[in-house]
Amino acid sequence: MSAAPVSAASREAVRIENLGKTFPSGVRALDQVSFTVREGEFLVVLGLSGSGKSTLLRCINRLIDPSDGRVFVFGTEMTALSGSALRASRREIGMIFQQFNLVKRHTVLDNVLSGALGRGHLLRSLFLSFAPDEVVFARACLARVGLADRAGERADRLSGGQQQRVAISRALMQRPRLILADEPVASLDPALRHSVMRHIEALNRDEGMTVICSLHDIDLVRRYATRIVALKAGQLVWEGLPGQLDAATFHAIYGEDAEPASNQSFEEAR
Amino acid sequence: MSSPTTDISGVRKAVLRLQTVLLDTTLITTLLLMVELQWVAFSGKRGGTGLLMTAEEILKNLSYGTLALVAFVAATAWNLFYRDIGCSPGRAWVRGEPEWERDLPWHHTLRGWFIALFIELSFFTGWLITEVDLGTFLTKFGKAWDIIRGLLHPSGSVLEQGLILLVQTVFLAFMATAFAIPAAFLISFLAARNLTRHSAIARLAYTLTRTVMNFVRAVEPLVWALIFISWVGIGPFAGVLALWITSIASLVKLYSESIESIDTGPMDAIAATGASYLQVLRYGVVPQVIPPFLSFTIYRWDINVRMSTIIGFVGGGGIGYILKPRVDLGEWGEVGTLVLLIALTVWLMDVVSAKIRERIV
Repeated sequence: MSAAPVSAASREAVRIENLGKTFPSGVRALDQVSFTVREGEFLVVLGLSGSGKSTLLRCINRLIDPSDGRVFVFGTEMTALSGSALRASRREIGMIFQQFNLVKRHTVLDNVLSGALGRGHLLRSLFLSFAPDEVVFARACLARVGLADRAGERADRLSGGQQQRVAISRALMQRPRLILADEPVASLDPALRHSVMRHIEALNRDEGMTVICSLHDIDLVRRYATRIVALKAGQLVWEGLPGQLDAATFHAIYGEDAEPASNQSFEEAR
Repeated sequence: MSSPTTDISGVRKAVLRLQTVLLDTTLITTLLLMVELQWVAFSGKRGGTGLLMTAEEILKNLSYGTLALVAFVAATAWNLFYRDIGCSPGRAWVRGEPEWERDLPWHHTLRGWFIALFIELSFFTGWLITEVDLGTFLTKFGKAWDIIRGLLHPSGSVLEQGLILLVQTVFLAFMATAFAIPAAFLISFLAARNLTRHSAIARLAYTLTRTVMNFVRAVEPLVWALIFISWVGIGPFAGVLALWITSIASLVKLYSESIESIDTGPMDAIAATGASYLQVLRYGVVPQVIPPFLSFTIYRWDINVRMSTIIGFVGGGGIGYILKPRVDLGEWGEVGTLVLLIALTVWLMDVVSAKIRERIV
């Protein structure tokens, strides 16, 4: 495994207790979900679309308010926070989205700089102005994902894979301790998936950032996860190591009709 | 568990029933009043002056109360027996068309006949009320010829004054638009549904803003001009204020609708960085709405140029201010000059604004 070994002694990064979410439409997206993530882990959340993966990730940084249960991030109870305390905690949590969610009409550099909004001067930031050392750091973040030469371009000029890398350096700009990645490669060409995943892996391995990443492609899961939790219809149905993910488990998560992208991935595991 | 549910649906049913009957009553009352109006007009009844009654006099003397009562009884009866005689228009509107009538042609349902009769009567009633007179229209053309000849032979005597006031007109429109932009920009965030769902105060602000803006928009700029003339006196400033307030209302509507149609993804992404709500608006919303805002603003400036040419009719400054007395005095040559100047300006602004919008958006 390429990821750093996680000792049992390492501290707890995220603890989720009996988390539940019912949307106003009456849909129960999450139900009684509990698990713990240790610092330095690359945890993959597995499940069909609509199984609650996105809702789960968004409940962690409170983009969605859970209906019940509690979420702790680095010992702070996220579910008890509001206002500036919540914003301060969010600064430690970078988020990467399936649709990149860049400000399309802003430059690549401005998009990266927006990762520093939480610690900057409010009035100054409203005029898109940032401290010189933040600009230096933003350029360094861009260089990390190999896009240093694209800093002045409008974000929507870049390809999907490049846009997602800009989004990664925006997250990096926050100097986060935890990265939430919501299907980060699902809207990318399959050939480009590893180029994006490898950058997320590097944050985990080299910077020691904890990663919680939702994925549905079983080959990617095997390649990058250090641990897996699986959701089905909003409930946690399986928890284990990548090596323990066999065909039977796969069908339990995805249903009997599902077929893994390549059957070989299970053969190799044995 | 089940009893409160039945109560709610029972209340809801009663409300729907009331809506249906009120709607039908209104429609039937209107229909009956139109019948009575036709009846009085064609019976040759004479009014107080001994002449045939005018439409206004007839309107004053219709039997509103009686017919409303009759209509209420009829509406109630129609809704009691709708299974036998067909669904009423009110019921179809409130509850939707019943299945057994869905594929019938209009002339196979009572409702179809009712609506057909309603439209037909509206036309004949309109003819009487607006005093349509085809005979005069076709035979008395001569009087208008003077005006048209004047328009075709513009006089040069007002050209200089007209041009000067034209400058005032264009700047009047410009100032009204310029003052409206910042106000409309700020207010539009309160009038956008997607940004005002998170608290009771925000929802209240939304409802309040929408209501006030709808009211402001419902009143025409010429009426606003009269209000502001009594406030700041006759002159171009009153015109600026009148166009300003109506521009705010219309821009807020257009701006807030484009805010409502943004992609919320960037807002989530900015919020996730720990940014404050103002920063979320600045980075997640504003960049997305700038192109439509520009387009709507230029469109509004275009409308304001048109409006500013006639705002002077009531004393709001601009070229309309010298046009009105010349129309009253019958100086058709001078009127012709001014009308041509206005047409030229409006056409020019139209072209310019279309070009600018093409470039920016």
